[in-house]
Amino acid sequence: MIGRIWLALLCLIGSGAALAEPYFAVQQGVKCVTCHVNPTGGGMRNAFGNTWARTVLPAHTIDMGAGDQWNGSLNRFVAIGSNLRASASYTDVPNQDSQNSFDVNEARLYLELTAIENRLSVYLDQRVAPGGSINMEAYGRYWSADHSWYVKAGQMYLPFGIRFEDDSAFTRTVPGINMDTPDRGVEFGLETAQWSAQFAVSNGTAGGPENDQGKQYSARAEYVQSGWRAGASYSLNDADAGQRQLAGLFAGVRTGAIAWLAEADYVTDEGFAEGKRNQLVGLIEGNWLISQGNNLKVTAEYFDPDDDVDEDQQTRYSAVWEYTPIQFVQLRLGLRVYDGIPQNDLQNRKLAFLQMNAFF
Amino acid sequence: MRRAMPGVVSGALAAAVAAAMAGCAGNGEGLDENGRPINGGPVPLEPTFASIQANVFTPICTQCHTGAGAPQGLRLDEGVSYAMLVNKPSAEVPALMRVKPGDPNASYIIQKLQGTAAVGGRMPLNNPPLPQSTIDVIRQWISDGAQSSATSPDTMPGLMGVSPAQGEILNTAPQEVLLQATTELDTTRLTPDNISVVRSGRDGSFAEGNEVPIKVLGVQVRSLQPTVLAVLLPRDQWVPDSYQLTIAGAGSAPAIDLAGRAIDGDADGVPGGNFVMQFELGGTL
Repeated sequence: MIGRIWLALLCLIGSGAALAEPYFAVQQGVKCVTCHVNPTGGGMRNAFGNTWARTVLPAHTIDMGAGDQWNGSLNRFVAIGSNLRASASYTDVPNQDSQNSFDVNEARLYLELTAIENRLSVYLDQRVAPGGSINMEAYGRYWSADHSWYVKAGQMYLPFGIRFEDDSAFTRTVPGINMDTPDRGVEFGLETAQWSAQFAVSNGTAGGPENDQGKQYSARAEYVQSGWRAGASYSLNDADAGQRQLAGLFAGVRTGAIAWLAEADYVTDEGFAEGKRNQLVGLIEGNWLISQGNNLKVTAEYFDPDDDVDEDQQTRYSAVWEYTPIQFVQLRLGLRVYDGIPQNDLQNRKLAFLQMNAFF
Repeated sequence: MRRAMPGVVSGALAAAVAAAMAGCAGNGEGLDENGRPINGGPVPLEPTFASIQANVFTPICTQCHTGAGAPQGLRLDEGVSYAMLVNKPSAEVPALMRVKPGDPNASYIIQKLQGTAAVGGRMPLNNPPLPQSTIDVIRQWISDGAQSSATSPDTMPGLMGVSPAQGEILNTAPQEVLLQATTELDTTRLTPDNISVVRSGRDGSFAEGNEVPIKVLGVQVRSLQPTVLAVLLPRDQWVPDSYQLTIAGAGSAPAIDLAGRAIDGDADGVPGGNFVMQFELGGTL
């Protein structure tokens, strides 16, 4: 209840934008832009998102006194942010020695430079680990005066489906639009009270140099109500290597303490050596807010790699307990079970992990 | 007041639920380990290119590295992967070859698989690392010279454009044209003297007499078996136009294979005939 009150107060004084992981948005009944600098979600959090993560999300809040609190803004013109995910994992692949390791999954630094407040800014998302530094997003964005539309140009993640945190989900890997595959182009977006819509034209090379005349056209529209949301996505990559079309439906609904997310995508890809393949992916996820700072995420996924081939389907089931003990730190304890054709060991692996996510 | 959930939401949820829950994993009957209908027996993992393609590149890497949106432009589909890898500079660290024959430690693919590359994450991204035994097989293949699959002596010597491909339309000027032969060619015949590149003179035709020659700077042989060669082109002579590359398969000094047969450049099944490929450069220069 306290969290809801806080959220309501913050909504009144906030910038009119939304929250972090997509299930947060469904739980709270807001749009991605409420909490993120990026209107399509993911990446750097805005001042409201940081304040929500500091005050509402954690089980306990370390009292920092009455002075300034972290919200990412250094001043009116400069804001910074970061993410660090580090984990210990255990992977069991049939017929292979099990693997266990400590890993830095990713460390990212965010920077937003604002030249005209609330209107014109430059945004950078730099992944600095593991390995060397690599730019993921770099774009300039212009908002209309009433924040009803924007245009951004540069390198960015394309709009498609639900931007789940888990980039290894079938709905992220099979369409190939995820947080590892930015592209260069232009995006136009509409933001109204209930609608969030984007249209992007990009090279269609997943961030690589342009190699043909064709372009990728991506569109996404979402209708948001406080208790539910639904949307559709479409993308066409018109490339010499073979045309690729993606079409999807997604939805979210809140039933009491559980926020449900679902997405189904159909992929038609002409780029395979033998010709065209039609692929289907589906995901449904339940997030049970056990108590403040405690969330249990259960996910079921399905992947049909070729609808002309029988008995090649794969599934994946996950259970992840997400505990946010204090502000800006989350611990994630998870288990994923893959199930695929028996002759492919990797399709039948099991993964257990404990991950720390520091974000601010 | 909260509005009732409409039919479209129920429909989307139902579609996803049906896809996620109703489907069980396939039993794999009649399929190989890549989930494709069986066409021959399984290929054991051994340090040969065909085996690595069948056991690693196709089932694992092409989950992402395929088709139009292949990350870093690296396609690992069967048929194009060899030319994309061997002696080809990496996109992330151009000073390193993706595969440097004889030197696995200096091959970028090994650094990416072992997680020691200077840029980006360990491959396969978001998947468990390959077992060290698998990486060792790839290392062994590179140490052995990174040869492609052996070809039959009866294989007709031919050529194929890899990058750009035949008829491809480019937006940026290529620095090289990457070609792959069907077998091992006599590389002493692959010189700028028997390779020509011209542009059409902006009429799209190569028979009008107004064609403009493009100087071929050199030829790099990227691998021998099969022969992969890069025709090096200048950076400063490009304008939007149609381009044509020709390698002599007839005349006084045709390209030949090690058996002395002229290349079947026109793919008519008979040795002899020029290899001709065309591509276009678009209007964004």
